Amino acid sequence: MTELMVKNACVIDPLNRINTEMMDIAIRDGRIVESVSGNADVIDAKGCLTLPGGIDSHTHVCGTKVNFGRYMSPEDMRAGRTARSGKMHVTSGYYVPTTYGNSYRYSRMGYTTLLEGAMAPLEARHTHEEFTATPHQDMLANTLFDGNWSVMEAVQKGDVRRVAAIVAWTLTAVKGYSIKLTNPGGTEAWGWGEDVTSIHEQVPNFNVTPAEIITAMIAANEMLRLPHSVHLHCNNLGKPGNYRTTLETFDLVPDRNKERQSLYATHVQFHAYGGTTWRNINSKAEEIARSVNAKPQIVMDMGQIMFGRTMTMTADGPMEFKLYCLHHNKWSNHDVELETGSGIIPVLYSKKSLVNCVMWAIGLELALLTKNPYQCLLATDNPNGAPFVKYPEIIGLLMSKRYRDEEFATLHDGTGQRTAISSIDREMDWNEIAIMTRAGQAKALGITTQGKGHLGVGAEADVAIYPIRCRDVDPSTEYRKVVEGFQKTMYTIKRGRVIAREGEIIVEGANSTFWVNPSVPEEISVASDPEFVKKFEEYYTVRMSNYPVQDVYLPRGKCIRTEAVL
Amino acid sequence: MRVILETKKCSKPFLPIEAESIIPRNFLKGTDLTVYEGNKERALSELFWIFVEGTAVSPDKVEVVLKGDTSRVKRVGEYMDTGTIRIVGDIGMHCGNFMSGGLIEIGGNADAWLGREMLDGSIICRGNAGHYCASGYRGEKHGMKGGRVEVMGNAGDFCAEYLTGGEVYIHGSCGDMAGVEMKGGQLVIGGDATRPCGNMKDGTCMIFGTVHRMLPTFTKTGTQLLPDHKVAMEVYTGDVANRGKGTLMVSSRVPAR
Amino acid sequence: MIIKDVVCPFCGCLCDDLDVEVDGQKILKVQNGCALADATLTGSNRLPAPIRRTDAGWEETSYDDAIRDAADILLSADRPLLYGWSSTHGEAQSIGVHIAELIGGVIDNTSTVCHGPSILAIQEVGHPGCTLGQVKNRADVVVYWGCNPMVAHPRHMSRYTTFATGFFVPEAQRGREVIVVDTRRTESAEIADEFIRIERGGDYEVLSALRAIVQGKTSVLPREIAGVSREQLIRVAEICKKAKFGAIFFGLGLTMSPGKSKNVRNAIELTDELNRHTKFIISPLRGHSNVYGSNEVFTWISGYPYAVDFSRGIAFYNPGETTAVDILRRGECDAALIVASDPGAHLPHSAAAHLAKIPTILIDPHQTATTPLCRIQIPCTIAGIDAEGTAYRMDGVPLRYKKLIESSYPDDADLLRRIHDRIREVQGA
Repeated sequence: MTELMVKNACVIDPLNRINTEMMDIAIRDGRIVESVSGNADVIDAKGCLTLPGGIDSHTHVCGTKVNFGRYMSPEDMRAGRTARSGKMHVTSGYYVPTTYGNSYRYSRMGYTTLLEGAMAPLEARHTHEEFTATPHQDMLANTLFDGNWSVMEAVQKGDVRRVAAIVAWTLTAVKGYSIKLTNPGGTEAWGWGEDVTSIHEQVPNFNVTPAEIITAMIAANEMLRLPHSVHLHCNNLGKPGNYRTTLETFDLVPDRNKERQSLYATHVQFHAYGGTTWRNINSKAEEIARSVNAKPQIVMDMGQIMFGRTMTMTADGPMEFKLYCLHHNKWSNHDVELETGSGIIPVLYSKKSLVNCVMWAIGLELALLTKNPYQCLLATDNPNGAPFVKYPEIIGLLMSKRYRDEEFATLHDGTGQRTAISSIDREMDWNEIAIMTRAGQAKALGITTQGKGHLGVGAEADVAIYPIRCRDVDPSTEYRKVVEGFQKTMYTIKRGRVIAREGEIIVEGANSTFWVNPSVPEEISVASDPEFVKKFEEYYTVRMSNYPVQDVYLPRGKCIRTEAVL
Repeated sequence: MRVILETKKCSKPFLPIEAESIIPRNFLKGTDLTVYEGNKERALSELFWIFVEGTAVSPDKVEVVLKGDTSRVKRVGEYMDTGTIRIVGDIGMHCGNFMSGGLIEIGGNADAWLGREMLDGSIICRGNAGHYCASGYRGEKHGMKGGRVEVMGNAGDFCAEYLTGGEVYIHGSCGDMAGVEMKGGQLVIGGDATRPCGNMKDGTCMIFGTVHRMLPTFTKTGTQLLPDHKVAMEVYTGDVANRGKGTLMVSSRVPAR
Repeated sequence: MIIKDVVCPFCGCLCDDLDVEVDGQKILKVQNGCALADATLTGSNRLPAPIRRTDAGWEETSYDDAIRDAADILLSADRPLLYGWSSTHGEAQSIGVHIAELIGGVIDNTSTVCHGPSILAIQEVGHPGCTLGQVKNRADVVVYWGCNPMVAHPRHMSRYTTFATGFFVPEAQRGREVIVVDTRRTESAEIADEFIRIERGGDYEVLSALRAIVQGKTSVLPREIAGVSREQLIRVAEICKKAKFGAIFFGLGLTMSPGKSKNVRNAIELTDELNRHTKFIISPLRGHSNVYGSNEVFTWISGYPYAVDFSRGIAFYNPGETTAVDILRRGECDAALIVASDPGAHLPHSAAAHLAKIPTILIDPHQTATTPLCRIQIPCTIAGIDAEGTAYRMDGVPLRYKKLIESSYPDDADLLRRIHDRIREVQGA
């Protein structure tokens, strides 16, 4: 039995409606409890800001395309390297760090749970291997279904129960957590070098539209009672004028769940462009925010870009190729049979580029114009918008109009005409930031019942103590202190163990992977359907019996079982 | 101020020594520097006899002389910004990498990656240079950006790869694919070259010897007489395969009248 | 007993549809596999126990002693080299990287003599690729450049390309055009629809020429390039541009002929160019079953796919300097650990010979050409036969090797873990 007492913590715990209250936190055997004995180890938080461990609801840190990004970028590996030290392994990489690099840097920032943004089912084993090598964060895998042949076939037949059965079988087989759709239908079109340009356009050879796929998947998701909603990277990412596609997509979404959203729209900044070409691109954040403000069934994340070099990597193959044609940087592509695609290309976001300045403004506008912070979460689609180590700067910008104005003054002078950022006065407060970086994520991902995202009795003892005294810092003017404060915790505690202290990782990790096992009635189960099995064996290049991820890959897996309601 | 470093006899002479601490600026503070022999950290004095003559107030007045068996001493002059380094004999890999000023003079041969990613300054090698002389780093889009590398002897393969600025002058011949990926700067080869300037985007390359296996994607645009050299050059533009607009000049067989 | 859907541990094809008949500790018969699979799975002649070289000759030693000696040798070295890794599973490869990190050594895998140049090219220009099922289901044009799959990857064509039926290519071979490019008429060339014979070392020029043709700049080219007529190249470029989905596979003909990584880079840039017209991918034909696995594992731990030097406490990568062949040729390393590979057979003689001059430990189940060069050999399980573990197919798809028979050998991951732990213990003291 291990006991820990955190004294003098200034706690913000939005899910339990606690907002800058001084309290002690008692921890026993990895959970928060009412009280502990006098033998407990004691940590003095000295009145500093104490939050539940950070949760990133959309980040690319593990798996095939992330590793591709690493190995094709020796110049980035050398930029971000650190030596072996104490318990810490060697790390390399600045915008695509190695797995230990990711884990230590997130720990330093107080993050204890991550959702890997995209996992192709066929390559899930790889993602799980890397999860184990990201030892200080609990992991969840967004599982790609956007180009899935049997799903599209079932959607085309209008058979939502079949869709649910396929999703159930696949998530269980590959130990995934949630349904991810990236440019639905588009990734299959990219198998031929094509794309879809509207949610009502037919996917070549499959006779379904993205709208049909999205709608069917949302229905299937709710049928299976999955903890997270469908997680969507909308069609037409990055294209001037694409805000219409985004609004049309949002209009498709029914309100099917009382506990959480019915659609999580990711990195919406990339989907909020007005104009018709790169020359007249402008911000439509206002329109998008208006739609989300009226739709409690939608939660989005910012997809904020920050200036500097970074790596784009997404399952949106056609989009990555377009970037290659624009900038001629080194380009990788990896389409996955019967399932999805991916592309990887480095980019430079520059203040000299009007387009990039507009993009920067849009992300912030989305957050500031969304009334309910639970509906717009902080993320950069790491590393696509920026490496996650830039989150503290984004927090600073959200909390300080002055900081925004100072940055704005250094941008391309055409930015003001295309965006509304300079006229927005709102400054987020500590509580709203806590929602945007942990409470909101936990709620959206459906992991509050697992004890994540809050500090109430019974919760997992994932705690981050930042060197910030809320009462003494005015975030509106002292934004530098805010940024510095969020960069490095005094302590990061995970499941009751101190993992990081003043930026140094002091123990070996033992993370868990959360996955779902939704069960459907035997009569619709696909594993015993000869048609499904026959097509699998005929068109995949692996045998169906070799496809599922064996238990050994999840040494501390946490399975969430659900029962389908058809 | 002159600092003379002479190699001591090593018990394991085959081990490479990494000596990026050997740059003129560092000796202003003294000679208490460290180098690596394999995976072991060693004091400079363990591997070198050290003699110091005179003093200096600024780093540009520091001259470092390396004597003895220095063929396995790597990274000498790395990130150097001023001062002089003279190596009497041969020098190991990565000599003068990332250099931004000062002078390096090598009496013997230089191993691979001489002057890699150089920004400014000057390197003279009296012997031969190895592969990847004056090249870039893997994965980057640029190579050497400025300064001057001069090799009196021959250079190995991939000389001046990704050359982006500055001058590279090889008096002797180059191995395979000199000037590959070049996009700026000037590469001059006194002797022969094989398959030069593949994928060239921009910049100028002049070859005075024989070109073996000229690449098929260069178009001849004319001839030019070089008065200083009293030689006529055939002028090509390319690499067409890469939509390149570089200039490749090759000495014509007919000597100029 | 018949075990179905066995993953073959021989080549990069990682065929996973073998049916293997076993009887306790013996493999009796292999079905669906090629001749190489057969030989691998039914072969025997495994070293029975660890052996150590003395002045009097070889003597048997215990696992405990061998492990302790191995750890001691690695600990006392100033520049230890850990090489091989391609035929074992990811679990062992991971521990190997951690050992190298602990002792400040260099770790390298067989990419160094095979597709290292492909990796260098990918690091310059990226890799436009896909999984093999995309090719099977869609490709109507398949190019094999500088490789001979009929001999070295016998089932590649029947499982993934020419002879395979795909969802969009139901007539298999009749629906596909196969182009083979090589310096001589190989077995693969015999079944090709179009054969391009190139002069040795002429691949770079021909690829440049093809890029120019695809861009419409044919007039700049001479009539013949490296022994190939301009007309043939124009015809082949047309076939490629008109394809619905083209796939280029390449091997040592590109990676090991003069120019090496630049040859591969040129082929990738040709593929990029073709993507402006239609869908095209390019992918290397990896030789060993799990060499790509070693690239993946090395990368997520250290940041680099091979040739990783930890002597300065950070991960440093510079092929040509930190590659095993170069380190051995220069006589730089003073101790070596060879795992799951046969450098005695595959490395140039000048490099392999150095292994005999230093204390070399070999972890390998069989007596090989490396055995005479080592000081201690420790036999272990064979991944895919008596040990299970993860392997990565040539296209990145990860599969799990099955354990087909029981044996008394320790898993090499366990051996390495014990060596790792002993090193940690001594360092901590």
